[in-house]
Amino acid sequence: MPLASLVCLLSALPLLGTVVRGETWWVPAAFVTTAVCGISALYRLSGWNSLPVPFLQLFAVAFLSTPLFAPHEALLGLLPTWDSLEHLAQVFGEGVASIDGNAPPVAASYGVTMIIALVFAVFAMASDFLAVTARCPGMVGGLLLALVTVPLVVDDAGVGAVAAASCALGFLFLLAVDMWVRGREWGTRVPDGRDPSARLLGRVLRVATVSAASAAAVLLALTVPLAVPSLRSDAFYAMADGAYTGGDVLTTTHPLVSLRRELGASSDRTVLTYRTDAEQPDYLRTYVLNEFDGENWTMTPVSASGDTLVSGELPLPAGWDGEPDGGPVTTRISLDSDSPRMDFLPLPYWARAVDAPGEWYADPDSLMVFTTDSPPTGLNFSVETVDRVPTGDELAGSGAPVSLPGDHRNLPSGLDPSVQALTDGLVEGAESPYERALAIQEYFTGGLFTYDLSPPGVPEGADPLSHFLLEDRVGYCEQFAGAMAVMARQADIPARVAVGYTAGERMGDGRWAVTVGDAHAWPELYFEGAGWVRFEPTPAASGGEGQGSATVPDYASGDGGAGERPAEEPGGPDTESSPSTDPSEDAEEPDASPGADEAPEDRETEPASASGGGSDAGPDLSWLPAAGGAVGALLLLALPALARALLRWSRTASLSGGEPAAAAHTAWRELRDTCLDLGGPWAPTESPRATAERLSRFGTGTDVPRPDGVPAPVPAEAVAALWRLALAEESARYAPAPTGAGGLRADLAAACAGLAAAAGRGARVRAALLPRSLAPWHRPRPARDLAATTP
Amino acid sequence: MSLGTHHGGRGGGVQEDVGEIVAVADRVRGAIETVIEGKPEVLRIALTVLLAEGHLLIEDVPGVGKTMLAKALGRAVDCSVQRVQFTPDLLPSDITGVSVYHQDRREFEFNPGPVFANIVLGDEINRASPKTQAALLECMAERQVSVDGQTRALERPFMVVATQNPSDMEGTYALPEAQRDRFMARVSVGYPAPQAELDMIDSHSSRSPLDTLVPVTDAAQIRDLTDRVRAVHVAPGMRRYVVDLVNSTRTSPDLRLGASPRATLHLVRAARAYAALDGRHYVVPDDVQALAVPVLAHRLLPAPEAQMERLSPEQIVAKLVARLPVPGPQ
Repeated sequence: MPLASLVCLLSALPLLGTVVRGETWWVPAAFVTTAVCGISALYRLSGWNSLPVPFLQLFAVAFLSTPLFAPHEALLGLLPTWDSLEHLAQVFGEGVASIDGNAPPVAASYGVTMIIALVFAVFAMASDFLAVTARCPGMVGGLLLALVTVPLVVDDAGVGAVAAASCALGFLFLLAVDMWVRGREWGTRVPDGRDPSARLLGRVLRVATVSAASAAAVLLALTVPLAVPSLRSDAFYAMADGAYTGGDVLTTTHPLVSLRRELGASSDRTVLTYRTDAEQPDYLRTYVLNEFDGENWTMTPVSASGDTLVSGELPLPAGWDGEPDGGPVTTRISLDSDSPRMDFLPLPYWARAVDAPGEWYADPDSLMVFTTDSPPTGLNFSVETVDRVPTGDELAGSGAPVSLPGDHRNLPSGLDPSVQALTDGLVEGAESPYERALAIQEYFTGGLFTYDLSPPGVPEGADPLSHFLLEDRVGYCEQFAGAMAVMARQADIPARVAVGYTAGERMGDGRWAVTVGDAHAWPELYFEGAGWVRFEPTPAASGGEGQGSATVPDYASGDGGAGERPAEEPGGPDTESSPSTDPSEDAEEPDASPGADEAPEDRETEPASASGGGSDAGPDLSWLPAAGGAVGALLLLALPALARALLRWSRTASLSGGEPAAAAHTAWRELRDTCLDLGGPWAPTESPRATAERLSRFGTGTDVPRPDGVPAPVPAEAVAALWRLALAEESARYAPAPTGAGGLRADLAAACAGLAAAAGRGARVRAALLPRSLAPWHRPRPARDLAATTP
Repeated sequence: MSLGTHHGGRGGGVQEDVGEIVAVADRVRGAIETVIEGKPEVLRIALTVLLAEGHLLIEDVPGVGKTMLAKALGRAVDCSVQRVQFTPDLLPSDITGVSVYHQDRREFEFNPGPVFANIVLGDEINRASPKTQAALLECMAERQVSVDGQTRALERPFMVVATQNPSDMEGTYALPEAQRDRFMARVSVGYPAPQAELDMIDSHSSRSPLDTLVPVTDAAQIRDLTDRVRAVHVAPGMRRYVVDLVNSTRTSPDLRLGASPRATLHLVRAARAYAALDGRHYVVPDDVQALAVPVLAHRLLPAPEAQMERLSPEQIVAKLVARLPVPGPQ
């Protein structure tokens, strides 16, 4: 058994292949696991009490990890010293830091390898205890499940088919070995005397039972989550999505990761709805990422202090000394109560005042509004924004940025020079920052790039940025926004990446609905005199893919509003143009062409139409999951009854014909199970006669405690049948040549009916729904030592 | 336990030979019941012991009909019956018989004692000296008498029915365990039910009902029947069951002395006879269960702890029986 659990664990190692990079990370893990299981196997050969096994294993792990991970500090390279222990702790810390700090797959550093090895050591000890000491090898499945969830949660690619199959095979091997060992403990197998056809029937019945049980399990697994709304798959993500506060500085886990997650989510639930005065609302910005480390855009840590506490007005953004012109626009936003909590508010840019319950802080530089508390779900708040959209002319006239700190043009030094060359080539000839920005955007939207939510992986060692820009040119808003911001910085334009949602879709009642599919990232570029303005490099992809509700602002489309609209889809003319240039036209469009909202789009239109009530998309099938769940639940409830009925049917069927002894035994077993079902006792110390004698008083209260109801004695004909069954069984057991007794089937039916009649209604119902005889602990155990007496 | 008293208890395959046993037993039973009423279980055990070629120990207070039972049994079977009243001065030769020298013929002549009979009734066996008891018990076990270096076999059937009075212990020599072991079964007659006692007043008022008892069978037939009883089938599981039961008396913490291997043989033989009396040609657990107390209890010595708990050997045996699983389907 210890070796089987070793095989099982080793076969689970490939599961981690997707989350760890490198070639030899698995060697120490395999080594330590082998040692742990080997010690268990060796020790158990001695036949002593297995209590010390875990301690021996701990000892082994402690002594193995020293030469494996801290050989230089150790005495003779083997014995642990104080230095080596310190070194181990340090390596461990490094491993934790590298797992925390890097997106998967994690490079297999020393620390990571050690952590994996230690985890496997602990798992090996646990599985050894479960499978060998506790003799519950099924529980090892839980450990394997824990291993499986690591790549599932961390990595989008999930678990490879080969790794999953290997893990499953290992587990099955463990179970098979356990069954084999258990079988041997029972002694040698005695061939049963049944004829081949009965054996075949038994086998068919076994397969049918197993299939029915598995089918019911699969059915339930599929239907119950659909029927119960609170069990949706994304509830799982809510747990993984955390923001932690350390002191006054608030950091949140990668906004881009949550963006990717939302875009990848299969559902299209509504994140928020809002009502606005604006005719054409702008994007809703949640995060601003303004630092680029060469691979990822990250957020400067924001601080929550008394200075930044929002009380009424928000600070003015950089580049503005006073209120700009342009009327205030009020937007009332309701976050969906099913969505995960948002500690950063999605706000239109730029917000002048936010009225939200609770304490909120504003980052003066980026105008992000956030909280350090745990905000309630389903938050309602209102925001006042300045409705000001610059025109292309205005932007064209802006010169070099002077009113902004220079760090918005910082780039790490190790960038691929080919990207710089590309940028230089693009902006060649462009004079103003605005023209340069347009040129860069044009590069993305000009048709060279493909929008794909799951871009192919970057080959190992390649720079993701240059690979995206120059090689495969496939990606989604995160890559487009990030790449454009980098190139803009290279072109000496201050740039950063904003993450949030597009404006969403207008619903029939005037509200706008934003769904997870509207999650988006875009670059913001700074122009002197106009402040931060957004660009839209994400293309509408061919074949209906793409960030469906993305809109290109007029100033960014290159010709003042009437030109091409590379990023929009056919169905969304209402969502792209700027109200400042053509307010009247755009104001009409959403209402004038309501059908456009439901035109075929790549985005799912169901959430909008469902909440708007205007759906005409075929029959309403929403009852299906509920009905499926109900059917599944009924099936589950009826499962014991079905199994019992199947058993009864097969026994009754085997009564006619065949050996008289076997038939008598079968009838007697069925009688026993019926008695057990009805709540009666059944003692293995009772002879058939004594049983018949007792059962003939069944329900009278003289022997069997009646659960309920008045005594209803067993009818006389049932008693006679009972005695015939008992005598047949007795003869089959003890007579030299059992005499065949006819009419067993009728007797059985009469006896069972008589017992049921005497048992009372409550017992009858319980016997039908929850037959106790199916539970092995209710069954009388076979007489011990009988195996030795059978010839 | 009422066996086969209703619902066709004899339906388990009546065969020709056991059928005759049932018929004879019914006749004997009917005859004895004219004398002793309301004690079917005791009668049944007595018949079982007769057919199983064992000896019976009747243990009870005086006056409940111990002697009457033994006499009636002897009378119902047409065979020789001898009665020995055991007293402290009884000598072994009073039981086995003596060789007497005939002056005229100048030779020794053997005068057989009362043990030379088919049914020997030993009254108040615990009043005799151990030496005398031992002489009787030797005959019981070996079915032969050795006098003056000559061994004489006893006739079949040979059954000793001994009575003993447990309450009056003054001047008695209680049977030691080794000798109790030679009795196949011990029964107590017990007081009759009120109705039976009423009937008894009527039947015993005029004259002894024993006088009107006519024999319903004879020794030859009983011999034949005992041969048939030996052929009653004991399934392997049943043998194991008996061994397990006897074994459990040896391992039980309640008992100081368990049952002997002879007890195992006695139990199997008695079970055969009991099954035959029920019209069956095979033994079922119910036979063994019904016989466990009569066959085993008198051989056991309870442990001091059990004695302090006032657990009688009968109760301990019943407990062991209730705990042992019956043999299941093979």
